[in-house]
Amino acid sequence: MGRIVLDQVSKCFGDVEVIPPLDLTIEDGEFAVFVGPSGCGKSTLLRMIAGLEDLTSGAIAIDGEDVTEVPPSKRGLAMVFQSYALYPHMTVRKNIGFPLRMEKMGQAEIDKRVETASQSLNLTDYLDRKPGQLSGGQRQRVAIGRAIVRDPSAFLFDEPLSNLDAALRVGMRLEISEMHARMKTTMIYVTHDQVEAMTMADKIVVLQAGVIEQVGSPLDLYHKPQNVFVAGFIGSPKMNLFSGPEAAKHGAHTIGIRPEHTDVNTTDGMWEGRVGVAEHLGSDTFIHIHDTGLADMLTVRITGDIAVKHGDKIFLTPQADQIHKFDAQGLRIE
Amino acid sequence: MPDRKLPRLLQAPAVLLLLVWMLVPLGMTLYFSFIRYVLNNLRHPEWTTPSPSNWRGFGNYQFVLNSKDFLLAIQNSLFIVCSILFLTVTLGILIAVLINKAFPGQGIVRVLLISPFFVMPAVNAVLWINMILDPVLGLQGIAVSGINDVVDGLRQAPVLGSFFSLWPEFEPISFRATQTSAIAVIMMVTWQWTPFAVLIFMTSLQSEDQQQKEAAVLDGAGTWSQFRFLTLPHLGRPIAIVVMIQAIFHLSLYAEIEIVSRGNGNKNLPYLIGEFANNNIGAASATGIFAVILANIVAIFLLRAVGKTLME
Repeated sequence: MGRIVLDQVSKCFGDVEVIPPLDLTIEDGEFAVFVGPSGCGKSTLLRMIAGLEDLTSGAIAIDGEDVTEVPPSKRGLAMVFQSYALYPHMTVRKNIGFPLRMEKMGQAEIDKRVETASQSLNLTDYLDRKPGQLSGGQRQRVAIGRAIVRDPSAFLFDEPLSNLDAALRVGMRLEISEMHARMKTTMIYVTHDQVEAMTMADKIVVLQAGVIEQVGSPLDLYHKPQNVFVAGFIGSPKMNLFSGPEAAKHGAHTIGIRPEHTDVNTTDGMWEGRVGVAEHLGSDTFIHIHDTGLADMLTVRITGDIAVKHGDKIFLTPQADQIHKFDAQGLRIE
Repeated sequence: MPDRKLPRLLQAPAVLLLLVWMLVPLGMTLYFSFIRYVLNNLRHPEWTTPSPSNWRGFGNYQFVLNSKDFLLAIQNSLFIVCSILFLTVTLGILIAVLINKAFPGQGIVRVLLISPFFVMPAVNAVLWINMILDPVLGLQGIAVSGINDVVDGLRQAPVLGSFFSLWPEFEPISFRATQTSAIAVIMMVTWQWTPFAVLIFMTSLQSEDQQQKEAAVLDGAGTWSQFRFLTLPHLGRPIAIVVMIQAIFHLSLYAEIEIVSRGNGNKNLPYLIGEFANNNIGAASATGIFAVILANIVAIFLLRAVGKTLME
């Protein structure tokens, strides 16, 4: 069980309000991802849920029980930190067993649980090593192991993969997703990487300057961004957004079209431009296009390859049903 | 290899200087400890110049071992050093943890805490024995007579008087007496050296990882558990450093012992060496060699003990 409800939660550091009052519900068993640019308050929000930061106002409830004044260890949550925060003087075995030892559990039971957890994380060979002797990925596993043994009602992840190299990150991403599918425990995951958010989440919470911009499933956010910020933040490469006469034609202040929803032609099309850099990924090609008169640079994504060089003339045609329209306040127009 | 010659050549003066600095005094001590060498002897004027012809073998060592003060000096050396180490490390950790939290006036408090360390040892001893510990004129004497006056006053009180009249008159303690002078030395050196421990522990505490502590909070560790399982192991190495440096320094305590009791019933090895050196350089050198052996035993023993308990 682990239904987490935030009710008018806010946070000020001195006079600076980093999180204006916000409401949010995370359902039991859900994988929620807080995503946003750095400094948007996502980590602070997570730490408030964990109990490491006090609330300036509002209340947090876990499974219907108000935990606003409950100390962190009594909230039944387990957290995995960005720096792993392993205890450097203890072996892996003692690290994983530490929360159980603090609960005054019997040694036999601790050993059993540590054994189970380390098996599921492939750590059995490293149990008697110290964190300093492990690689980044192994340390991350130990940190997760330490969270699992407590059998918490929810897991909190604070940018757990940002210290890993790219290949390891993809692997750990899958492992965490599989862990969620297996355990069906509530997980809250903080990241600035929208790819992590899109691939892992059941529900994405997009934050900017402490304000929730949109809450929804990854595909919701992709297909129906509620405002310009979400439109620009979700999706890779970024959505092309521009205002001006071309937007006015569609009856909007700003329009957006995703790189993958633009058709490219070398002979004719709706917009004309000049090819800048073309990034060939093999399966796809990203072409950066200048001098369209719409924005400094547009990006298009095409499947496969196209024979264009730097400086070539190129024509673009947006797929009409894929154009996102926003009003002067930046809000979506249906 | 030619490319290794130059660095070695450049290192040579420093290494040579260090060797001379250490080996010459040690060699001379060893040499003197095996010969008869006194500063003044009317019957054997030949003993007053060091020469291999005055060879005494282990005679000096035997003489030192049989002297009545030797065992006391060893015991006292160990007692004083171990007590100071225990007190400075304990107090040092407590104070360091206490002032590690941010509070107004932190800078001033830190400077004040460190200031005893800048007092010269002899001055420190004079201040303590005369102004604080003196049974008549020192703070101790004033405090004891003050308490006695208060108790005297309370004896006259109507109901409680009968209770207080059961109290004995308090006697001030004379720290120049033979049994207590070691205690006085321990007190004053602890006062002087606790800041050193605080300074080292404080810097170490500032490098403690805060996320580890937060993780421990979430894992259900209370303040004591955080201290025991995170802070104390983190301080393991600094504690070893403090213990080692202080052991070396305090095994050679001299000024405090001289000033408190002139070695009256409170000798340590260096003081014994000093007494022998008034005339018998041979015996003083033999004692010096014993001191070297003792210092090595203490250093190895302490480092092992500290290392094992804290760095598990």
